[in-house]
Amino acid sequence: MKILAIARNTFREAVRNKVFYLLLFFGVFFAFSSRFVSMLSVGDQQKVLMDVGLASIHFFSVLVAIFTGINLVYKEIEKKTIYNILSKPITRLEFVLGKFTGLALTLLVALASMALLFFLFLFVTTGSFAPRCLIFFGLLYIELLIITSLSLVFSSFSTPILSSIFTVTLYLVGQVLWTFQEFKTRLHEPFSRYVATALYYLLPNLDKFNVKNEVVMEMELSGGRLLAAAAYGVVYVAALLTLAVVIFRRRELN
Amino acid sequence: MQAKTIALFMALILTAGALQFHYDTQVEYFAERQAFVTLPDGKTLKVLSFGYRNLVADFLFIWAIQFYSATHITNRFDYIENIFDVITDLNPRFKAPYLVGSWIMGLEGGRYRMAIRLLEKGARNNPEEWIFEYDAGFYAYRDLKDLELAEKLFKQAAERPNAPPLIRRKWAHMVYMQDNLDYAFRLWKEIERSADDQLSRDSAFHHLYQIDFERDKQLLKRAIGEFRRRFGRNPAELAELRVRGILKEIPRDYQGRDYRYDPESGTIKARRNYKWKSSY
Repeated sequence: MKILAIARNTFREAVRNKVFYLLLFFGVFFAFSSRFVSMLSVGDQQKVLMDVGLASIHFFSVLVAIFTGINLVYKEIEKKTIYNILSKPITRLEFVLGKFTGLALTLLVALASMALLFFLFLFVTTGSFAPRCLIFFGLLYIELLIITSLSLVFSSFSTPILSSIFTVTLYLVGQVLWTFQEFKTRLHEPFSRYVATALYYLLPNLDKFNVKNEVVMEMELSGGRLLAAAAYGVVYVAALLTLAVVIFRRRELN
Repeated sequence: MQAKTIALFMALILTAGALQFHYDTQVEYFAERQAFVTLPDGKTLKVLSFGYRNLVADFLFIWAIQFYSATHITNRFDYIENIFDVITDLNPRFKAPYLVGSWIMGLEGGRYRMAIRLLEKGARNNPEEWIFEYDAGFYAYRDLKDLELAEKLFKQAAERPNAPPLIRRKWAHMVYMQDNLDYAFRLWKEIERSADDQLSRDSAFHHLYQIDFERDKQLLKRAIGEFRRRFGRNPAELAELRVRGILKEIPRDYQGRDYRYDPESGTIKARRNYKWKSSY
């Protein structure tokens, strides 16, 4: 119940944030602009339209996750409202989980709105619905939860600027982590190989959730692969939340 | 005050327009010029696109269309293979760049071998598609006049799933055009057997008629030559070849009718005459 109360407040606070609406607007705007971009192409126009639409939603929902996530804890500390909360019988675990749940709900609403508009737009312009895009949105949501958890970890001990730098960096690394597999084979020293292997397993592999190509090109997507990606995401989020709780518990609040 | 501000605004806008006009007189937008294009290879760009490789491929493709529409850039074809290679490395299943790229390379740039290379890459990356090898075969046949290559490409296209009957006909036609008459006859017979549309049936009939005629013509020519060697003249009619024991039977055309024979010149003509080879 306490977690839900914090989540509700976090959700309310997030939807009042102007940045949230601005990013939402740009996400929808760029998804719609895909119509004009696709008109510049010769052939495969529906593919270009879907590519630009899905990429816009991906990019702007990641920005929503980062910029609303990094302010989660920091704002409470800066405004000193955290003292009011923690003076009540609320543990730091409940606080972190409540914040995370609130933001997860916010992201769900934001993503669902963008997805709904995208489907409507696709139907109006092409007459098709492309239900396979739901797979992309499902995995994108898990990716957003990982990014939120990352920003929560960083915002529990750092400033918003540093948190955003760390989160954006890890997001970018996460998108290209698949290259580590090849990178490892080029390393000659065993120690470097161990470090590369450790980093490969330690850092978030966000490419697992990127199925835009498979969805748009109607390529095969096995249930096993999707389930493995979803399970990986859930476990990774749980690990990051645990880390956030550990850091936040050790933090001195003066 | 308000009127003065509006007047100032109008004056500034007009001045900006006049400056823009002056600028345009100084610049030759479409003057002949060279371009320098450098792109990292597809693998590197895949990493640099940070999960948005489809989008990067789309934008590169759209840019390439605009770039290759700029006919005043004289050296634009220097980069074309690399540009379309990068796009198709980023998104190997994106079909339009293979087709559009090959049109530009071939039809506009006259680089048909390059166009075929791109289309063959498209076929490798999209094994369920027949269009790439079909287009490539078309370039090989029509533009390169390389019948052997065209036959290979049409055959590969015909063996792809859902390939339309037209491609099998193209393949069989290439075999015929290379004078591989027995093989061509077998292929066209197969087409005739499996045809479920009038066009395929008609096409098969025309080819079978012509191939049959060409095979018979070779046989009859040899027989007339032998007759001439033995008797010092052309046979008065084809039946004489049978009477003199040179041929066991006088061949007839595909419809079972006699060929037309001119004893003066010793030439044989069929009732139908298809000029595919002479018009190629």
